[in-house]
Amino acid sequence: MTLSTIRAALEYIGGECDVAPAFLPGRSLWIIRCTVWIVAILLIYAFSGQTSKFIYIDF
Amino acid sequence: MIFNTFSYYLFFLIPAAALYRLLPARMRPWVIAIFGSSFFLYFAYSMAGIWGSLCLIIFIWESLVSRLYRPASRWCFVGMAQSLIFLGIFKYWNFFTGLLFLHRANPVRWQGAFLPLGISFFTFEFYHYAWDRRAGKTEAGSLSEYLAFILFFPTLVAGPIKRYQDFLPKLRANPTDWCRDWERGITRILTGLVKKFAIADLMTAWTNHLNAHDLAIADRRILPLWLLAYGVKIYFDFSGYSDIAIGSARLFGIAVPENFDWPYGRRNIQQFWRCWHISLMNWLRDYVYIPMGGSRVVPWHIYANIIVVMLISGLWHGAGLNFIVWGLWHGLLLSGHRLWRRLRGVPSNHPLALLSSSALTFVLVNAGWAFFCMDLPTAMLYFRRLLVG
Repeated sequence: MTLSTIRAALEYIGGECDVAPAFLPGRSLWIIRCTVWIVAILLIYAFSGQTSKFIYIDF
Repeated sequence: MIFNTFSYYLFFLIPAAALYRLLPARMRPWVIAIFGSSFFLYFAYSMAGIWGSLCLIIFIWESLVSRLYRPASRWCFVGMAQSLIFLGIFKYWNFFTGLLFLHRANPVRWQGAFLPLGISFFTFEFYHYAWDRRAGKTEAGSLSEYLAFILFFPTLVAGPIKRYQDFLPKLRANPTDWCRDWERGITRILTGLVKKFAIADLMTAWTNHLNAHDLAIADRRILPLWLLAYGVKIYFDFSGYSDIAIGSARLFGIAVPENFDWPYGRRNIQQFWRCWHISLMNWLRDYVYIPMGGSRVVPWHIYANIIVVMLISGLWHGAGLNFIVWGLWHGLLLSGHRLWRRLRGVPSNHPLALLSSSALTFVLVNAGWAFFCMDLPTAMLYFRRLLVG
């Protein structure tokens, strides 16, 4: 697995790209997407207590 | 706060994006304009009170004046000038008048000064529209379409900085693939929130130490880690913010420009700046660098142009000497890199050369953050402690 395939996978998982890289199993993409949402929501919930202002709001 | 509040999603984003898709095409710009105005009133009031909210008048005034812009018209100069005047008064009045009365009390100091929400970003969009209308590079569009452009709330506060000619076709198109847009958009928003909550905010424990008191007593071996933490924080904070803005726009079916393209790890400072805050650098290239002659002038003039652009970039980030030094630092790095390339030719593609140039770029960019996150005396103290002890 090269750096570019890892990058393509991360960009798909993060919602930046619409097309999944070829090595991700096409039929079970919905499982990946659901897992990403669940993990993201759990992380947001776990860390939300410490939130601060976005830096660029003040610019 | 804004993007990390429930009110943004419940009162603005979800109802506006749903209504935008349900209503007929002629109503859509008005949906954005009305929700954008409400968004501005609500969050500007929460941040700067009634005077902050009243700055909505700036948008109304600009949208009315914009109807006078024509190719080669003098009204376009008026538009450009008023954008800079808005920015200059609200952001730089106290800074520059303070410099004028350096050793005395500033008699014209604006005591109640405040920054209207998103002023650094929306004034650049005003300026772009006036410039491009004058050059005949964009059509006028209707009043509702221009209001939708300047009041498009996902990008209103901190970009990405849009272009009218890119935005207009998307505003006029019928957003059809609701399911895919919302799935990808929400994924992007969640990614941005994770970057903000789980990474950027986690760095605060270290970056809080970047103050004169802690720097004076700290073990110098820890100092690079604190600055590195700031480098991580600002990247994940701002790229997270951009993810949420881009994801929010996607819910409307509107694609806005990307702001980041994996900037850390780039092999030189020029590549770094092509991948960091892309929409701002493209704006500075098109409306400052190229009008000054860009790269089509003699070499010393190119270096001067680069330094001026980066000084403006620094000043744009904040009215403070530290931001000017930060801009100067990057201007010198970019000019130095250009000179190096001129003298040494095409760089080697040997893996060791790639690795070392990427590492050097990363270190130099991170060193520059010292001027970005601390005032000038504190940044100088940081480097004194780091280098001398």
